[in-house]
Amino acid sequence: MARSITLQIDNRNKQHAGWLLLLLLCLFVQPFDTFAKASESRGIPSAVVLNPAAEIWRDVRQREQLTNGTSQVKGVDSGVLINAYGDQWRNFRMQQLIPIGGFLLIGVVIALALFYLFRGKVAIEGGESDKKLLRYTNYEQLIHWFIASIFLFLAISGLIILFGRPVLIPIIGKEVFSIIASACKEGHNLMGPLFLVALILIFIKFVRRNIYQKGDLSWLLRGGGIIGKKHVPSNFFNMGEKTMFWMLVLVGSVVIISGFVLIFPIFGQGREWMELAHVGHAIGAILMISVIIGHIYIGTIGMEGAIEGMKTGYCDLNWAKEHHDLWATKAEQQGEAISNDKVSQLREVSSAQPLGGHVQEE
Amino acid sequence: MARMKFYCDPERCIECNACVTACKNENEVPWGVNRRRVVTINDGDEGERSLSVACMHCSDAPCATVCPVDCFYTTQDGVVLHDKDICIGCGYCFYACPFGAPQFPEDGAFATRGKMDKCTFCAGGPEADNSSDEHRKYGSNRLAEGKLPLCAEMCSTKALLAGDADTISEIYRKRVINRSASVMARGVSYRDASFRAPRNASGKSSAKE
Repeated sequence: MARSITLQIDNRNKQHAGWLLLLLLCLFVQPFDTFAKASESRGIPSAVVLNPAAEIWRDVRQREQLTNGTSQVKGVDSGVLINAYGDQWRNFRMQQLIPIGGFLLIGVVIALALFYLFRGKVAIEGGESDKKLLRYTNYEQLIHWFIASIFLFLAISGLIILFGRPVLIPIIGKEVFSIIASACKEGHNLMGPLFLVALILIFIKFVRRNIYQKGDLSWLLRGGGIIGKKHVPSNFFNMGEKTMFWMLVLVGSVVIISGFVLIFPIFGQGREWMELAHVGHAIGAILMISVIIGHIYIGTIGMEGAIEGMKTGYCDLNWAKEHHDLWATKAEQQGEAISNDKVSQLREVSSAQPLGGHVQEE
Repeated sequence: MARMKFYCDPERCIECNACVTACKNENEVPWGVNRRRVVTINDGDEGERSLSVACMHCSDAPCATVCPVDCFYTTQDGVVLHDKDICIGCGYCFYACPFGAPQFPEDGAFATRGKMDKCTFCAGGPEADNSSDEHRKYGSNRLAEGKLPLCAEMCSTKALLAGDADTISEIYRKRVINRSASVMARGVSYRDASFRAPRNASGKSSAKE
């Protein structure tokens, strides 16, 4: 009996504990409950009030789709609230173009310097002969130096604009640099279209001799004579020169077209196009400059006799036989080799005559 | 220290373009240049919204990062300004800016891009405050006179706010609370709620309950 009573009491206690728990729970839930009831009584949901235009502002960021508006201010892209590609372009310019481009150009110079230290100047093995071959007519020399001077100007002014802030401003200060950069920008824009003219002249004149031929693959496989001691036979232009020509024409076209997109913001092109054009312009220009650095190296300190053709129009017969064997042998067989005395005579006459007067083009 | 900001409330902007006109007149900006513009999204459709945009005076301005001649500077008030004597008019700031703030007069080679012009928060340039040089290059310097930019000062619906970021965000925060409260408590539409004066963040309704 006593046992059953205690059991009953135990059960009661348990029931009390249960009630207490329920009460506590109710106390916690109470505020939310009354809030919900209050808002429901007015027929308004208790949820957070959303800005009905929230979706518009999400779309305006242009992350998933293009959302353009209209504006009374007429202009290119004036209806665009957020240009989403500006950020990508800035990252490309600041984090990739300037550091990678800079190190690439420095790398090319260092590589050439190392090559020069190991290999030295490539001499004419047979020594200078007493005969010469006509390599470039006056007109060919003229257009070469025309495009060369424009290219150098554009390259230097472009590099100053690109690398001036990290490299030159700490040395010469903002004010002086601004004058230089302003001249570079104006000059770059003025000279740019002339590069198109020069490139067209070069293309028309040299394209036939730059079409790839049979021996070019073996020239490439033997690294243009760098691998091994022997010279690789080649025609008027070797594989390397041809590749440089085509690179200049193709990459040059990209640089020219993108350049026009950049200097004439009057065709109605938007910022996306100009950002894209700038990326192409910069990558193309840095590639061309790297290759031209190599071209200048061979022409100046890299190889004996290489620049003679562009300086005087005539190249040494032995140099021609070593570097452009197929062309030189054929020219010699046709009796085109001229003695040194005759060359100096001809050059005196030609300097008194108008351009290309005496020279027969091939 | 103050940190100057613009804020445009699209629930209030009625696309009157008065800010654009006021700015042009006050700063005597070059022909073809608009430092401020009003953009309307979904024009004529349901849910149309307008927003007045100019230079937003970014804390970490992309234009200043990409400028090849480093002509940008941030004043003590957090206003992003540029030096027109140093600017070369290359257009890079225009590519980098998310808001399309930098503008270019027709000048330079082939008359395509002159020196950049943009909103100065009516704070002029690096020259002496309110000097004739400063006025010629950058327009008026109202900040030096203790005034806020004219576009915001004369905005009829007070959609465009200009001033210290703390003040601006406090005003806007109150507006948002008021809107939500009005929608919830009074049942008015969000857009109508946008024009209510905040009263203890509870809203006031002209409609009878």
